[in-house]
Amino acid sequence: MRRRDFVGQALGLLATLGPTSRLLALDLAGAGARGVRPRAGWLLVPMDDAQSDHLKAYGLTYRSVQRGIRAEWLLNYRNGSFLIPADQATPRDAALSGISVEPLDDGAVLQIRAEIQSGNMDAIPLEKAPKVAVYVPPNAPPWDDAVTMALNYAGIQFEKIWDPEVLRDGLRKYDWLHLHHEDFTGQYSKFYLNYAGAPWLLDMVKQNTAMARTLGFATVPEEKKAVARAIAAYLERGGFLFAMCTATETLDLALAGQGVDIATDYADRTPMDPNASAKMHWDLALAFQNARLELNPSVPVFSDIDGHQVNSLDRRQPLGSFTLFNFSAKIDPVATMLVQNHRQVIPDFYGLTTSFTRRTLKSSVTVLADEPGAPWVKYIHGERGQGTWTFFGGHDPEDPQHQIGDPPTDLSLHPHSPGYRLILNNVLFPAAKKKELKT
Amino acid sequence: MKSVLCLLCAKPVLVGVLALAAGTPGLGAQQSPDPARRGFELERRGNYAEAADAYREALKKKPGDPAALFGLERSLIALDKPADILPEARAAITASPGTGAFYGVALRAWAAADQPDSVRAVAARWAALDSTDETAYREWGAAAISRHDNAEARKAYETARERLRRPDALAGDLAAVLSEQHDWANAVREWATAVAKVNGYRSTAVAALSQAPENARPELLRTLGSQSSPPARWLEADLRARWRDPLGGYQVLSANIPPDRGRAVEAISGFLDQVRDQNGPDARRAQALALVALADRTPGPGGPQLRLEAAQAFADAGDEATAKRLLSGVSTDPATAAGLTSGAATTLVGVLVKEGKVQDAERKLEELKPDLVSEDYLALRRTIAWGWVRAGKPERADAIVAADSSVEGLALAGRLQLFRGRLDSAEALLKLAGPYAGSREEATARTALLAMLQPMQLDSLPALGSALLAVERGDTTHALEQLDNVAESLPADQGASEIRLYAGRLAQSAGRNADAERLFRSAAVPDAKATAPAAQLALAQLLLETGRAKEATALLENMILGFPDSALIPQARRLLDQARGAVPET
Repeated sequence: MRRRDFVGQALGLLATLGPTSRLLALDLAGAGARGVRPRAGWLLVPMDDAQSDHLKAYGLTYRSVQRGIRAEWLLNYRNGSFLIPADQATPRDAALSGISVEPLDDGAVLQIRAEIQSGNMDAIPLEKAPKVAVYVPPNAPPWDDAVTMALNYAGIQFEKIWDPEVLRDGLRKYDWLHLHHEDFTGQYSKFYLNYAGAPWLLDMVKQNTAMARTLGFATVPEEKKAVARAIAAYLERGGFLFAMCTATETLDLALAGQGVDIATDYADRTPMDPNASAKMHWDLALAFQNARLELNPSVPVFSDIDGHQVNSLDRRQPLGSFTLFNFSAKIDPVATMLVQNHRQVIPDFYGLTTSFTRRTLKSSVTVLADEPGAPWVKYIHGERGQGTWTFFGGHDPEDPQHQIGDPPTDLSLHPHSPGYRLILNNVLFPAAKKKELKT
Repeated sequence: MKSVLCLLCAKPVLVGVLALAAGTPGLGAQQSPDPARRGFELERRGNYAEAADAYREALKKKPGDPAALFGLERSLIALDKPADILPEARAAITASPGTGAFYGVALRAWAAADQPDSVRAVAARWAALDSTDETAYREWGAAAISRHDNAEARKAYETARERLRRPDALAGDLAAVLSEQHDWANAVREWATAVAKVNGYRSTAVAALSQAPENARPELLRTLGSQSSPPARWLEADLRARWRDPLGGYQVLSANIPPDRGRAVEAISGFLDQVRDQNGPDARRAQALALVALADRTPGPGGPQLRLEAAQAFADAGDEATAKRLLSGVSTDPATAAGLTSGAATTLVGVLVKEGKVQDAERKLEELKPDLVSEDYLALRRTIAWGWVRAGKPERADAIVAADSSVEGLALAGRLQLFRGRLDSAEALLKLAGPYAGSREEATARTALLAMLQPMQLDSLPALGSALLAVERGDTTHALEQLDNVAESLPADQGASEIRLYAGRLAQSAGRNADAERLFRSAAVPDAKATAPAAQLALAQLLLETGRAKEATALLENMILGFPDSALIPQARRLLDQARGAVPET
């Protein structure tokens, strides 16, 4: 490119920027011409109450890493801020999205690093934007997925996959997999109890039955168990899994229920094995053990893994709030990343699986948040082989009593949602440098 | 849906028991020797635990005491221990096996204990007392619904039909369950049966069936259309109205109005409830027709009131001729109450003005003046003034406005000055009128006009006045042409951009998107720093509405980065989110 053309294009680009961004860009350009480090060579994306849009800030950081920029996650510094080397695209991105950024020079950054060094904080390099997959069936179920809403709002790209792709080893090309409202026991979340004639349920049954047959399975429960095994294998190979709502509990039930009939006759024309609970292979599960399965087909719960039992009239527990745990950022960066937030106590929210009873947790599970005094926890994490999984109970952090047919949450009304931040922590943490993830 | 079911699963009203208890005056703070009465007193004070003990004491002496048994049930429910009544319920049934209400207590207790088999057993014993009574099955179903077990509830109602040998038994209850399960095809048949027996189910049926998805509705309407019972056809009419076909609904209704006056009023009133809050010409016409039908069946002063409402509705629907005919009937009807005259006058003057008969409207108003309060009279004068403006005779409006010193009068005077192009006096009068004159829409429009006038450095611009008058007269084509010419004559930062933005919005509201786009683009010039962001935002909105999301995105990015301090930035970001698909569609 000729110098004249370059200058012309640069001036043209400059004209499109707002005043603050223009000053920053000029600064960068000027400093570059003088052969010294720019005065404002860094951008801090604060994640405390100074941030105007916490959720979009994750998207900003993700996109900068996607462009090859080596950003850092400053754990516990101003509630998990991000530090990005200043370029021209990031301030523009921030201005368009209304994200607060603070330009910093080397001196300021050095001070921050010193502060981090001396406290329970750490700076984690983010080196690769993970390739994200969301497991969702092709027909549109009448509920909404908090994670896809968060990804769309933050501007993080993802692809959708379903059973055929999973069973044909399609998970290989993804770094991060999300599961939400899927029932891996193959019982359609027991919706037949209350929505027997609903067109969407009939459609779901038809589609899943056809899918199972196409893939060579006699029943949907058997097919879903195979999908669960494929997901476990993906984890073994180093994948990252984030699951919410029904997917948490039913994934483990499907894994532990190999060779056991854990589905009601609505799903596979045979009743559940009355001794199913005693026959489960909990060693194959990720998070849970020794749970008691719900044997009554007309009770809309799966097992006693879920603490709140929202659809069981006489067992339903009221919502409280859950508290995030503190971890040592330098010793336990993974757990620390997953709990970064500007609030420590967060109002709880229901889902078909809302919480996880302590009694059923494996000892290897790390509890990231719980309801103090209650017999359940909310947010847990663990490892399987080379990979990691995180389970977050509940359906939508900003819709505590979500019902089927309710309108989706508009996240532009909740840009500071602490619950949604936990979801986005999980999206970004696979971007961390590999060495940091092996603690 | 929950509200639908709750209407049908309400606990039996223990009126008799409360009446018994209420007949005990002056208990005061002393303990009554009668434990049942003592229990009632304690219950009234909220001492439920002690009340339960007292009731138990009463039941020990007399197990079949209904007041004590129901009192104990109430107290245990308050203590969240409803199942604890089982021993007493069993004893009551043993003592008095023919009393159905005792089985009800036992059934509810078993339901609270989550023992569906026992619920069924009790229901069967209860039903055996009277082979024609639905109550036992209804209670069984209600108990199942309280446990969110719709399948069991359905079983209860179907068992009722089988045992009672009545295929229409508990139709309303079954319909509610089927609606909850979204089994619309069967639900509509049951609702039709229910309303045929008891028309009181009609509004519940409409509420339940109106939630059916769009693709299911034609079939539901066909099913109702094939029914012979008038209430089922009224239900069809109501649903048509609910589903945006109010005139189709009225057609069905009018073909099924019974000759009996009381039933006819019931039928029409139910339909009116569905259309009353709807807007749009079809809905207003359907309201008007229903109101006339109702008025024809309403003796006394109620009739003229209904006809007045009908006239207003016809006028809103654009049928001024029928409105006038009705109004003249109202004003000559001896049954017309005095207070109606003001309403009739307002409607009549409005109709005449709309028809362009402004002179007639003015004359009519003067005839009615003695019967009007001065506020109403002045308001109607202003309506006539606007009529003259739209007829192209603003000078006739001047005379009217001269005598009106209200803020609405000032606002009108300001607009009249504007139509003459007298910008300085127009601005002064509009500012004097302030933000509270007229409706919110009028106040917003006035503020927008002031914003347009502000950058202009001229005292007078007749061409602009003429253009705005053309807008007021509905001559959009001419108005746009004139506004374009005016904008050409002004610098960008002295009104040209503002006029182009205004013209663009006018073109967009008239569906002339190409013109709107051209005008917005020409308004979004860098020189007009105040207007350019608004013009860019308006253009982006237009591009999005016409399916050009990519262009809208680029434009919004440009706007946000170019005018970071503009008050419109939050709106622009919101629109950008929509353009990028970051905001879910509801």
